[in-house]
Amino acid sequence: MKELLRLGKVTKCFGPVVAVDAVDLSIYDGEFLAILGPSGSGKTTILRLIAGFETPDEGRILLEDRDIALTPVNQRPFNTVFQDYALFPNMNVFKNIAYGLMVRGIGRQEIKQRVEEALEMVALSGFGERYPDQLSGGQRQRVALARALILRPKLLLLDEPLGALDLALRKQMQITLKQIQEQVNITFVHVTHDQEEGLTMSDRVAIINEGQIQQLDDPKAVYFYPQNFFTANFMGENNLIKGRVVDLSASGATVETEIGNVAVKFADKQPIAPIKGGDELYVVIRPENILIGDQAGTAGNIYEGIIRRRVFVGSEEKLFVSPVSSPELEIMIKLHALKAGSGYPSGGLDRKEKIRIGWHQDQCWLVSNNS
Amino acid sequence: MSKIRANLSMQPGKKHRRFGLYTLLFPTSVWLLFFILIPIAMFGVYSFWVVRNETIVREFSFGNYVRFFTNPLYPALLLRSLIIAFGVTIITFVMSYPLALHIFRQSGRLKSLLYMFVLIPLLTSYIVRIYAMRLVLGSNGLINNFLIFIGAIEEPLQVLLFNRFAIFLTLCVTLSPFMVMPIYTSLEKVPRSLIEASRDLGASDLQTFWRVIFPISVPGVVAGSMFIFILSLGDFLTPILVGGTQGMTISKAIQMNFGIAYNWPLGAALSAILLVIALSTILVSNRFGALREI
Repeated sequence: MKELLRLGKVTKCFGPVVAVDAVDLSIYDGEFLAILGPSGSGKTTILRLIAGFETPDEGRILLEDRDIALTPVNQRPFNTVFQDYALFPNMNVFKNIAYGLMVRGIGRQEIKQRVEEALEMVALSGFGERYPDQLSGGQRQRVALARALILRPKLLLLDEPLGALDLALRKQMQITLKQIQEQVNITFVHVTHDQEEGLTMSDRVAIINEGQIQQLDDPKAVYFYPQNFFTANFMGENNLIKGRVVDLSASGATVETEIGNVAVKFADKQPIAPIKGGDELYVVIRPENILIGDQAGTAGNIYEGIIRRRVFVGSEEKLFVSPVSSPELEIMIKLHALKAGSGYPSGGLDRKEKIRIGWHQDQCWLVSNNS
Repeated sequence: MSKIRANLSMQPGKKHRRFGLYTLLFPTSVWLLFFILIPIAMFGVYSFWVVRNETIVREFSFGNYVRFFTNPLYPALLLRSLIIAFGVTIITFVMSYPLALHIFRQSGRLKSLLYMFVLIPLLTSYIVRIYAMRLVLGSNGLINNFLIFIGAIEEPLQVLLFNRFAIFLTLCVTLSPFMVMPIYTSLEKVPRSLIEASRDLGASDLQTFWRVIFPISVPGVVAGSMFIFILSLGDFLTPILVGGTQGMTISKAIQMNFGIAYNWPLGAALSAILLVIALSTILVSNRFGALREI
């Protein structure tokens, strides 16, 4: 894939706060990249640096090998969909969408035609005369999208575009956005704090924390194989157990933890290079990969525990179990929700009951201690 | 669901709440009635009475209004006052908009500091501000002393004070905060993201100003203009203090009718005419959303 934009060691500080810390990032032509991180992680600043609302303190921003770090906003071939949509309240939908073409002095006839096309693309034909305050949140969002896409930018930047919508609309817009992206074949860079949103639409996900990229990979890899403590903690509800490597081989490791020794078999994605014997690190186990009762008997890692809580959350049930060897720790287990009345397993899963839990050696992996 | 909720809101609780509202409004309403509405109504009544032998006679007549329109003096005075008010409005707008825009573009402490500088004059007495202008314009004032100091003139200029120019200038200076404030308030309502969006879409700073910022600030401009126009039309102290012999305006005429001329009915009639003009200005301004900016 062709590289469109590259950030090279880009740093941005606000007073004493380092918002973006020597970030290297390549964005490829035609991809849908999600920048995912908690609030204050620097993800929006990265977007604003690309858009040109901020200039980097250090580093380069290369657009097709040309440094644009100091190019003014209005001369960059990028457009932005703002979090609050930023529609001009004094203009109707038509004029909002036509704005970029109008300031470029494009002929009335062409403007009319292109605006009609843009309205059609976002399924808002016939809404041209409305004013922003006469539109719903979802409609405003689509106007903002049309207004940005009508200029055929090389890069479309989306700043938490779905943040203000309700859940049902958000799900629907996720699909719409992806469809439009494929239709117009423009590179999308999408900033969000919502993991699901980041995973649903994008080709690649960059996990950001404290101004640094923690992991950059396709959504499945980021979800199933987080590379460090932060990502493992941020993506889904992983169980993280601190430990120390006591035995290391090419195919696996044994980690000494407070619940006992955990045997880990390296999967394809597991980086064995940075791990040394004696390293402090975390064992990650997905809650859906933990077996209970008799099923646990076949697993490579087996522990005795006591049930603390059982929480019904709809499609699944969460079971919180404390290992006998370390009652302070709670391990979360996800089970498919049971229909009322059907016991699982036959012994029942009541509070304070003893239970055997376990997981296979290749169903857990190691992440580094540092975030 | 919404139907149920609608029904719920019609429960006795609503009546109760409405009663509570009226209870809360009562003192304010009484205040408004006794100190504003009734005095204005009394003015209206006065304007239909007549003066004979230096005493007010309670005898209904349109005489005062007839006198206003038939005597060439009063329409000319009103016209002169309107021209001054209009001119002051234009000049304060031209002076204040860039200032408000400049303050709006600052950030943090400097912004509050600059805005405070605009407001500080309003904390001083109005008369003090007019006298301050006399200190600037007078024959021993700042401007004359400066011009003499640099050798541009030998004798103090007399044209600066006690004429219509001085009225004009003093009104512009003393009233300008009332223009800066609503413009600044309306500018503050322009979200930063709109300005960023405009630039993001390729607009230059000038295009952004004329297409986005200025249109959104129009209600503030109208509100400010309304203030300045009404205040300078009704002002009588400035003509008295810096207007000299040229200082006759309709407001000064009103003041004289209530004062030395002791013709309250005529003064009341003139006031009523000014009030109608002021109210029309407010009504017209409100069509531009000006009252929401205050």
